[in-house]
Amino acid sequence: MSFSHLAHTLFPPSVRLPDILLIDVGLVLAGLGILGLLTKTRRWGWLWREWLTTVDHKKIAVMYMIAALVMLLRGGIDAEMLRAQLAAPGAHFMPASQYDEVFTTHGTIMIFFMAMPFIFALFNAVVPLMIGARDVAFPRLNAMSYWLFAAGAILFNLSFIIGGSPNAGWTGYPPYSELLFNPGPGENYYFLSLLIAGMGTTMTGINFLVTIVRMRAPGMTLMRMPLFIWSAMVTSALVLFAFPPLTVALAMSLFDRVFGSSFFTLAHGGMPMMYVNLFWLFGHPEVYILVIPLFGVFSEVVATFSKKQLFGYPIMVVSILAIMFLSYGTWVHHFFTMGAGPGVNVFFGLSTMLIAIPTGVKIFNWIFTMWGGRVQYTVAMLYQLAFIPTFVIGGATGVLLAVVPADYQFHNSYFLIAHFHNVIIGGTLFGLLSALYYWWPKMFGMKLNEQQGKWAFWLFFIGFWVTFTPQYLLGLKGMTRRIYTYPSGLGWHNLNVISTVGALIMGAGFVVLVFNLVWSYVYGERDLTGDPWDGRTLEWSLPSPVPEYNFARIPVVHSRDAWWDMKQKGQSLAALRPEDVHDIEMPKNSPIPFLLGVAFFVVGFGMTFKWWPIVIVGGLGIVLCLLFTGFDYDDHHHLQADTVRQSEASLGRLQG
Amino acid sequence: MSMPAADEHVQHLPIEFANEKESIKITGFWMFLVTDILIFASLFSTYAVMHNAVAMGPSSQQLFQMGPVMLETLLLLTSSFTIGLGIYAMRKGQARALIYWILLTILLGAGFVFTEIHDFVSFAAIHATWHTSAFLSAFDILVGTHGAHVTFGIFWAVTLLFQLKKRGITAQTARKVFTFSLYWHFLDIVWIFIYTFVYLNGRIG
Amino acid sequence: MSETNQALTAEQAYQEDNDSALGFLKPQFHEEKFPTVQIWGYIGSLVLTFAAYLLVMNHVLPPVALLSVILTLAVIQAGLQLGVFMHLKEGRGLAWQLIPLYLVFLIAIGMVGMSIWIMLFKSGVS
Repeated sequence: MSFSHLAHTLFPPSVRLPDILLIDVGLVLAGLGILGLLTKTRRWGWLWREWLTTVDHKKIAVMYMIAALVMLLRGGIDAEMLRAQLAAPGAHFMPASQYDEVFTTHGTIMIFFMAMPFIFALFNAVVPLMIGARDVAFPRLNAMSYWLFAAGAILFNLSFIIGGSPNAGWTGYPPYSELLFNPGPGENYYFLSLLIAGMGTTMTGINFLVTIVRMRAPGMTLMRMPLFIWSAMVTSALVLFAFPPLTVALAMSLFDRVFGSSFFTLAHGGMPMMYVNLFWLFGHPEVYILVIPLFGVFSEVVATFSKKQLFGYPIMVVSILAIMFLSYGTWVHHFFTMGAGPGVNVFFGLSTMLIAIPTGVKIFNWIFTMWGGRVQYTVAMLYQLAFIPTFVIGGATGVLLAVVPADYQFHNSYFLIAHFHNVIIGGTLFGLLSALYYWWPKMFGMKLNEQQGKWAFWLFFIGFWVTFTPQYLLGLKGMTRRIYTYPSGLGWHNLNVISTVGALIMGAGFVVLVFNLVWSYVYGERDLTGDPWDGRTLEWSLPSPVPEYNFARIPVVHSRDAWWDMKQKGQSLAALRPEDVHDIEMPKNSPIPFLLGVAFFVVGFGMTFKWWPIVIVGGLGIVLCLLFTGFDYDDHHHLQADTVRQSEASLGRLQG
Repeated sequence: MSMPAADEHVQHLPIEFANEKESIKITGFWMFLVTDILIFASLFSTYAVMHNAVAMGPSSQQLFQMGPVMLETLLLLTSSFTIGLGIYAMRKGQARALIYWILLTILLGAGFVFTEIHDFVSFAAIHATWHTSAFLSAFDILVGTHGAHVTFGIFWAVTLLFQLKKRGITAQTARKVFTFSLYWHFLDIVWIFIYTFVYLNGRIG
Repeated sequence: MSETNQALTAEQAYQEDNDSALGFLKPQFHEEKFPTVQIWGYIGSLVLTFAAYLLVMNHVLPPVALLSVILTLAVIQAGLQLGVFMHLKEGRGLAWQLIPLYLVFLIAIGMVGMSIWIMLFKSGVS
């Protein structure tokens, strides 16, 4: 391969646009800056010991959260670019080919590399603390999950500077993602990065499901679990059941492109619609994977800030389980227009509408929890209050989309775009931000500034409605999704301008949010009590930030809202007697998860360009990592009781 | 082994469940099998849908030979039996017997893989590859994924032999052998469905 | 949930993990002096396999009925493997794997059946 050929493969014209070259320079400078800073402050060892090799769920949570916020920035910039292009009729803010790439990366990043890791950040940060456990069931697997996610995310984000981004939409439908019509490496990047990140996600699902069923503190029966734990359990089960079809669909598409099979090709009897079927077999449960954890968050937040027990706990549990079951029987509503016939479409239309029932039940339960309570309007609670009307309207337009004949009209229009942003931003993003403000003190040991948080909240909330209300109307006026530009005179211009203004307001919200995080990190009020919100669940019984071993003594649970119950009975924070503390078995740090992530990245990168020697090197790395783990029996160490006693005493939690 | 009379009805946990942490790993492995069941369910769905999409290539009736398939089935069923006896021996604490049963399982598994590869090569000789048609793509990936699982299982079992040789039967090695046996029986179940839904169904037409 | 790693009896582990609503997950263990069950399981699986083979090769039934019968035989054989060889109902404390397994069987059957139903569409828009 000649040098010029290599240069053309890695840097085709699509990545030599002026804006991308500018970003290239910025990234190189930022990278050099970070490397320089690490070297200058001699932080390489610290980085390796404390972060890259860690198996501590609390640190993994922090890494997930940082990754998710960075991805929120990237996905948000993509969104602003899309809105800039659509602000005026006949605009050429960017070339059409780049527009295709930007809407593809916006969707893929927001779903797979922003929302999912953010949710796993919450699981990692909170689940073991809430159930009274010292770690997750499989700490090393947990780190592997993170590094596989990171490998996938980095591979995906590499595409826009090396080789060209994917451009077949976040769903990657064939035939447009087929090799014949899409010969560049972009779609290879898409399939490989999602496969690698998907493996990590599946492992996370297994890990948290097992953690919750097997590692609860004594006395915490199923019906005493906080609702966030129920939602984490159901989400993990959904991950287990939903990701395999995605893995299969992605692998088959990749084989079509790289190894010449004929699953979804137009030639040789391939069936592109089978990809769509498999993708949505995953895709619909995925929607619930994205929102159910936040139902859990809202259930905790509303109870804490209303100073009341959650209203109708058993009904909440039943409705969450009902949503889980029903979410498996609705996937065809994403492709009613395929023409599967009235029998199929009616079945899936009805099953879709059924989901509105358990969801509605939950909405009423949250409202009744606030009813008669002393509601505190913290930022976390404001997001909860914004979530309820936003999600209800998003859900209602979803029911409209489930009406099959009407869907033939709405399908792939901006009405659909507005609908799913209404539920994903209203449900998922508001929930994530609520959780961010609620659990930030537990994760980092300081409260976020409430005043700045309220600014960010109002910018997000108002910006959201200004952006997406016009899009419903645009959809009804016939504007279709993924449209590059439009002529004037269709009555779309003004509404698009309003929508773009809304997007800018949301962008300002993000800037304020980041300012809030940085400002609070430096100047924020330290949380010395460990219980800044007068919380109800076990994580608030611990100091902030939580020591490595979580619980010096595993608590015994006697009721729902276990910590609230303990506080009512007058159990103080310093109730620990020295003789209650014993040696604690802790998992040992390991470089294997990080190296495994590197190896998968190498395989993914090599396969994207079909450079087989690189794939073989990466494959060998994977085999070595697995072999090493298989023969490694030295995976834990003991924390001496005295060390724990000293640590607890320094926190003022030891008697005597 | 004599026990006190009072303990006659008491069942001690088998060795692979004796340690809390190790037993949690068994639960975890069941969860992994759940995801693997759905991987195969997705592949079976694809095969069912694409069964008749033969394009210009051969159909299942023209292609499938029952001779090698029956041999593969017999080998895999027997290997499932031998690893089952291995677990029985393990619970009795018979390390030597366990190692021999695993060795026998590996040999039977290798015979299976060898027969399958032979079968695939004979298909390739008449240009029945997955480039030919969607049907062959779906067939190859379903049977191939199963074959890849068996191959991986063989290598896994070899690493277990080394660990058993070095450490004998402990709570940890017993758990590892037990999860391997779950994996192996699971592959046997998948093969039963491939045998029925792909090969026998292919003969029905 | 126990922190200790001493040898527990099955009953002790169950009592520790007990949740009154989950009695149906109580593990069941099977111990015996000779591997009779395994031998019968092996013979049973061979019989089921060859029965299906003979039924198909002799075309004893019309195609759809034949497929239903051999699939039933396959399901029985899968149950046999799970029960006899995979110690399906064993566990420390509760046999938690049972719940996801029951669910996954439903989902797997639904996935295959519904996919066939959905993808057998004949025309573009009917």
